[in-house]
Amino acid sequence: MNCDELQDSYELFAMGVAEDPEREEIRAHLNRGCEVCTAGMKRAIQLVAEVGSAAPSAEPSAKLRRRILASVGGDRQRSLWTPVWATAAVLLLAVAIYFGREQRSLALNVELLRRELNLQNHELVRYTEAFAILNGADSKEVNFGTAQPKPPRGRIFLNPTQGVLLMASNLPPAPSGKIYEMWTIPKGGKPVPAGLFQSQSDGSAMHIRPGSLDLEATAAVAVTVENEAGSDQPTSPAFIVAPVPATAPR
Amino acid sequence: MLLPIFMMAHDPASDADLVERLRRRDPEALAELYDRYGRLVYSLILRVVRDAAISEDLVQETFLRVWNRVQGFDAVRGALAPWLLAVARNRAIDYLRSASGRERNAFEFEETDHPSLYSDMEPGILNADKTRRVRAAMEKLAPNLRTVVELAYFEGLSQSEMAERIGQPLGTVKTWVRAALKSLRIELGVAVAP
Repeated sequence: MNCDELQDSYELFAMGVAEDPEREEIRAHLNRGCEVCTAGMKRAIQLVAEVGSAAPSAEPSAKLRRRILASVGGDRQRSLWTPVWATAAVLLLAVAIYFGREQRSLALNVELLRRELNLQNHELVRYTEAFAILNGADSKEVNFGTAQPKPPRGRIFLNPTQGVLLMASNLPPAPSGKIYEMWTIPKGGKPVPAGLFQSQSDGSAMHIRPGSLDLEATAAVAVTVENEAGSDQPTSPAFIVAPVPATAPR
Repeated sequence: MLLPIFMMAHDPASDADLVERLRRRDPEALAELYDRYGRLVYSLILRVVRDAAISEDLVQETFLRVWNRVQGFDAVRGALAPWLLAVARNRAIDYLRSASGRERNAFEFEETDHPSLYSDMEPGILNADKTRRVRAAMEKLAPNLRTVVELAYFEGLSQSEMAERIGQPLGTVKTWVRAALKSLRIELGVAVAP
């Protein structure tokens, strides 16, 4: 078919209601770039659009706009309630932060007090143990460091049922990564670990090895410097050695 | 009675800018497109499907289709409003055909098949004055001629389907369609190729 024969069908084609053979003919003309049919179709599309614009006026719901924008992730429309909700949210957030901070502060204080109490309980236990050893009728006392020019000095108390108490002064802090380890040395035997300790910033130290101890079988108490995890056997020379007298009850 | 919808003439240059922003995937441009043409699109679709809820679904579908296919549209020379209305009408007629169990075989002209057909159109073709002229031209048509135009445009019926619907011979329907379109072209100043 030629273009003249198709011109009455352009609008029908634009509306999608053209039928064969005109439909296929127009399609073929367009596909091969027919200038006449292309121009005719442009005018037809314009006419069809104009007919559509004359539809009775109607108003879509307000939410439709939000729906469409939300579907492409661009809903920036704010409702009248948005500032109210935003303000309420900010207030709630502020209240939550305030009480959250208060709660965290209270929890922190409780934790600090609990730790303090634990420390004090621990110290109380230590001092109780120390007094038990000091006041034990069968305890022995050994001094050390008296002959050294730059001593740590101190005393060691040994009780057969309460254990060993070491009290020192002039004891410098152990080097970084190191710790002091106390040993009980049996007669004719290898040193037995008796616990790890550090000195205080003023050079004082108190260390207790609770529990029973066979004083008659113990030759000495010694202190070495070991790695922080401690050792099963001394790895450095003992810098405190306190021989236990064979019979020297106080 | 047909009432004018398109009460504002839109500057083709601003439409071109809008298309360019849509192609850059600017959601604000889609909001602007909706503000500019949403009511027109909704009115057209409602006239076809006659159900508000379904119309809103189809309006959403229309704008999403434009959003997704705007890359193929000529931002500088393309006429945005006719393209948008074609997309909207196709969605509505498609729904109508599907809902009524009609085959889609007679409805095969997709608005995206030939994007060049929407370029270099007369500027401001959907302004308020033109809408009044369209309404006047439609009212001036004889009732039988107006009926066939409305059956074709708002119901998507082919001439054979119209003949069956109104119980007239196909030849008669073709004569009415030809006469109605000729009248509209003359009234609206859309002359066919010489």
